[in-house]
Amino acid sequence: MKVAVLVKTALDTGQLRVRDTVATEETPLKISDIDRNAIEEAVKQKGQDKAYAVTVLKWGPLQKKAQEAENVLREALAMGLDEAYLVADERLLNASHMATAKALAAVVKKVGADIVLAGEATVDNYTGQMPARVAAELGWPVVTYVRELKVEGGRLIARRDLEDHVEVVEVQLPAVVSVTREINQPRIPTLLAIRAAMKKPVNRLTLADLGVEVAPRIAAAYKPLVIQRKKVVIKDGTPEEKAEKLIQYLRQEGVI
Amino acid sequence: MKALVVYPNRELLYAASTLGGEVAALVFSEREAEAVKGVAHRALVAEVDPRLPDAVAEAVVKAAQSYQVVLLPSTKNGKTVGGLVAQRLGAEFLTDVLSLRVEGGVLKAERYVFGNKAVAAVEAAPPVVVTVAPGRFQGQPPAVQTAVEKVALQVGSKMKIVSVEEKARGAVKLEEAEIIVSVGRGFKKKEDLQMAFELARVLGGQVGCSRPIAADLKWLPEEHWVGLSGKKVKPKLYLAIGISGQPQHIAGILDSRIIAAINNDPSAPIFQNADYGVVEDLYKIVPILINKLSKTKG
Ligand SMILES: Cc1cc2nc3c(=O)[nH]c(=O)nc-3n(C[C@H](O)[C@H](O)[C@H](O)COP(=O)(O)OP(=O)(O)OC[C@H]3O[C@@H](n4cnc5c(N)ncnc54)[C@H](O)[C@@H]3O)c2cc1C
Repeated sequence: MKVAVLVKTALDTGQLRVRDTVATEETPLKISDIDRNAIEEAVKQKGQDKAYAVTVLKWGPLQKKAQEAENVLREALAMGLDEAYLVADERLLNASHMATAKALAAVVKKVGADIVLAGEATVDNYTGQMPARVAAELGWPVVTYVRELKVEGGRLIARRDLEDHVEVVEVQLPAVVSVTREINQPRIPTLLAIRAAMKKPVNRLTLADLGVEVAPRIAAAYKPLVIQRKKVVIKDGTPEEKAEKLIQYLRQEGVI
Repeated sequence: MKALVVYPNRELLYAASTLGGEVAALVFSEREAEAVKGVAHRALVAEVDPRLPDAVAEAVVKAAQSYQVVLLPSTKNGKTVGGLVAQRLGAEFLTDVLSLRVEGGVLKAERYVFGNKAVAAVEAAPPVVVTVAPGRFQGQPPAVQTAVEKVALQVGSKMKIVSVEEKARGAVKLEEAEIIVSVGRGFKKKEDLQMAFELARVLGGQVGCSRPIAADLKWLPEEHWVGLSGKKVKPKLYLAIGISGQPQHIAGILDSRIIAAINNDPSAPIFQNADYGVVEDLYKIVPILINKLSKTKG
């Protein structure tokens, strides 16, 4: 089964560089965590066929980040994917989700796949809209929030993890599937796999290569979220005294 | 701006009413149409299975032609429908917005980004699809006359629902709780959680938890799970016990009035995000708290 995995080269929010504004250009990239589960599932499902990673570079500056994104994709390759496609184009930086979906779908069409896997949401933006958008673009069914996946005879059977219940659903391939973190335990690549990944192809594409037109329709400005907490820490005394102090503070606040 | 509300509830209808144009509600049965009478200008009834995102999206696309904004709840199916609809309409899709207003023909919204470490101010020209973060739009939609219409539709779904399993559920409504006693991996065994339940009982609160407690260890049902991928809560008091305070957990508790934390590691990040922190072994201090509080509370 030929598998495409949407791997977001996301901002590493754990290392977010913040001054008066958020310095996205200085914040390093990493694989969006939940996409690791999608990669793992792809490696499990692909059988004799190939599985490849597709990413659209969303964060600039283009030259620097494109190099970084390549390194991130090497990690996905080390986990067992066979080839990577990186769409790096000035017009896609900070671009609309619609344009990103068009570019992702164009790569999938170009290379061909029976199934597209993705994480349920990305760690930097956490909007969770891309799998459905790519499915709409391809005209394929979409199955979101999957925590268990089985493919047999061209049919895909999945357990969807919804708020209050789990739904078992069935669709015909090809299909787009988004997975949750519960679906598997992503592997940690061995040194050997990391070396082998250095030799696997990472293909760079532009919008022109894909024949995709985009028009920006969105603007975003980021500012750090400043959390104002009192940060009173009770360190000294016996557990008894500490408990007493905590109760006192909470009473003063009128919350207990 | 004229707004179409899908899977309508009071909060969404109110949010839609603040945009200043006609509000229509897309519903899936006569009974649901009845429920929006008096709070939406139009009730559009589409006879599709609301559990099938592609069928719902089809109905939305059909109904959305004369609306500039499509509003959905921030649920998993809400987001799936939103993604499908947005791509088909060539629209932006702003999820989990905290605020929403129209200015110069553009929709302006704010949302948390980057693991809730930043706020993004976003602007998009219509058409726009939006999901609303729960609890952010408190108000009553104005009373209006409602016209009920049918959306004529022939849709099949590419997805077949084979079966549905309910998740284990108690009476927990964390979103509405005033006091939450929340537990993390600092607890060594499932049985020890009893302490937290006891503390929650004397405080008149509910029990929440970090992701590993619900997702990995499965010591509690998922309805207790707080955070980025769990519940967003806004209690008067959030007491985090044995929780390290990773950004993904903090993401769920930003709107708490007071955050208190108990952790035996003085360098735990939770202390940077708490109003009151106690550096102590939870096994020592929680029984004392239960004891003291149950005495004074009677
Ligand atoms: C995409 C994504 C989404 C996520 N979504 C969520 C989410 O929604 N919610 C969530 O919670 N997490 C989420 N996580 C996981 C999150 O990053 C952390 O792994 C998790 O919150 C850690 O849980 P914890 O604090 O219980 O455990 P740990 O980080 O292991 O912390 C345990 C704490 O207990 C303290 N402790 C140990 N023993 C004692 C004792 N005897 N007395 C007192 N203190 C003690 C330790 O010092 C430590 O600080 C997500 C992660 C990702 C990547």
